[in-house]
Amino acid sequence: MSDPSLNLLVEYLVDGDRKRSLNEVKNLLDSHVEREKIVTDGVEVAMKRLETKCTVEQFNLLEIMVAGRAAMEVITFLYPQDRPSPPTKGTIVIGTPEGDVHDLGKNILKMVLTAEGYRVVDCGKDCPLDMLADAVKREGARAICISGLITPMIPLVRQVKNKLAERGVRDVRVIAGGAALKQATAKSLNVDFVCDTAFDAPGYLEKITGRG
Amino acid sequence: MMNSIERIASTLKFEKPDRVPVIAQVFGHAAAVAGMNLGEYIQDGELLAQCQTKALDRYGYDAVFALMDTYVETEAVGSVLTYFKNKYPVVKSYALDQDTDPDTLSVPDPHYAGRMPDLLNAAGILREEVGDEVLVVGCVLGPLTVATQLLGIEKALYLAIDDPERFSRVLDFATDVVIRFGIAQIDAGVHLPVVFDPSASPAVIPPMFFSEFELPRLARLFSSLKAHGAAANWLHIAGPVGPVLPFYPEAGVDIANFDYCVSPLVAQEALDKTVLDGNIKPWSFVEAAPEEITLESSRLLDQFAHRGGFILSSGCEIPPESRQENVAAMVMAARTR
Repeated sequence: MSDPSLNLLVEYLVDGDRKRSLNEVKNLLDSHVEREKIVTDGVEVAMKRLETKCTVEQFNLLEIMVAGRAAMEVITFLYPQDRPSPPTKGTIVIGTPEGDVHDLGKNILKMVLTAEGYRVVDCGKDCPLDMLADAVKREGARAICISGLITPMIPLVRQVKNKLAERGVRDVRVIAGGAALKQATAKSLNVDFVCDTAFDAPGYLEKITGRG
Repeated sequence: MMNSIERIASTLKFEKPDRVPVIAQVFGHAAAVAGMNLGEYIQDGELLAQCQTKALDRYGYDAVFALMDTYVETEAVGSVLTYFKNKYPVVKSYALDQDTDPDTLSVPDPHYAGRMPDLLNAAGILREEVGDEVLVVGCVLGPLTVATQLLGIEKALYLAIDDPERFSRVLDFATDVVIRFGIAQIDAGVHLPVVFDPSASPAVIPPMFFSEFELPRLARLFSSLKAHGAAANWLHIAGPVGPVLPFYPEAGVDIANFDYCVSPLVAQEALDKTVLDGNIKPWSFVEAAPEEITLESSRLLDQFAHRGGFILSSGCEIPPESRQENVAAMVMAARTR
């Protein structure tokens, strides 16, 4: 349920207005609104609003980048490194496979997942598959999201499940996205789901777990 | 029977050519056809021209491309690239940061800067090879794409939001770079440079951003190219381009590429007097069977049979690793119609 006292913050975040968002967060803290509530009823609601806007009008990276940047600043302000981490919906490993240095899509996905309440382990760009699979096992991740802009990534993505199986990891969802990967089907990529936009990843995760 | 130039000229006038032109967007795939490495292909104008000629002989389509990759302009300005044996290069370090004053930059001379001279060399060889029989297409990036390649796309887009005045000056500089480069390509022999502008896709920026920042600069670029003798203005923006197609006439676009995710009907409705080229899914040239490419080509030819003003093509670059029989299937679909 959204809380009307957080409406202003939601507006500022959707607009990507960093300054006003942070000022509003300070006001909310002064009014004794809990940090967790600011994230769940403010930041997460803003991301849902943005998702709806992008579905109705058209998804574009710039608006997500700007809103995502504001959301990340709010989360960092609420939970600086010396404070305990916020509760999460689980850990997700993300990365761009070795050979692909384009990481805008991955970075946007990181912001969206973080703002939706997930703990994100970012393996970066140009990342060897073994490193990605190791991170999934080490971090106890629920899912791994692979982003790829260029078609030579497709044969690599097909190997991700095998790399996980080699490490005894079998119950982790493999999610693919990005301009090249979304031209292929989940079956041909040997993954569980192919995203059209960054919002499809949390949408899929919610669907398979039945929780938001 | 018309030659390729006559066929495309007739299509541009919405007349009835002897058949629909077919332009396969064969760039790096030409290296694969000739058994050469992509890394050498994009650094050697002579080799590029040889590979393009071989691919033309192999497929018999209507255009060849003096086109290396999307980093030629940024490298000429000062970005450092990493090259590989058999794939496209990547940017190692960008020429600008958000604090660079765009007014201190100088527009590179295409005859000396980076790989620009190699591309001009390729253009000259190809034109000499095919004369006025086959369309020789060069390539410049759109101003927004150059800006995102000069700064890195995240820095560039945040700069546009945080300091639009400075970003506008970067865009103006980028426009000057591509005008000079495009004119040099025409002088070297291309019939036209395609303007490749992936960062201007509605997948990346909202249509209002496109109309405010990119449209006036595309208009300046295209009017300069046309004034210098470009046979036509061809704009290539990948992705879900539907929302910005209505702006194309104002930019001076004669040929509009549309990608696989745009319905031919949407493109036709948005642009009734502009030639359209597209839109077979690029990945299908790698993964599909030739029969599927033939079917998809026939479907497109049917959809444009009444309207005309159509060039059969892929939605974006045909991936270098594509199956040759798939490219051949698309060409044959147009040639045997």
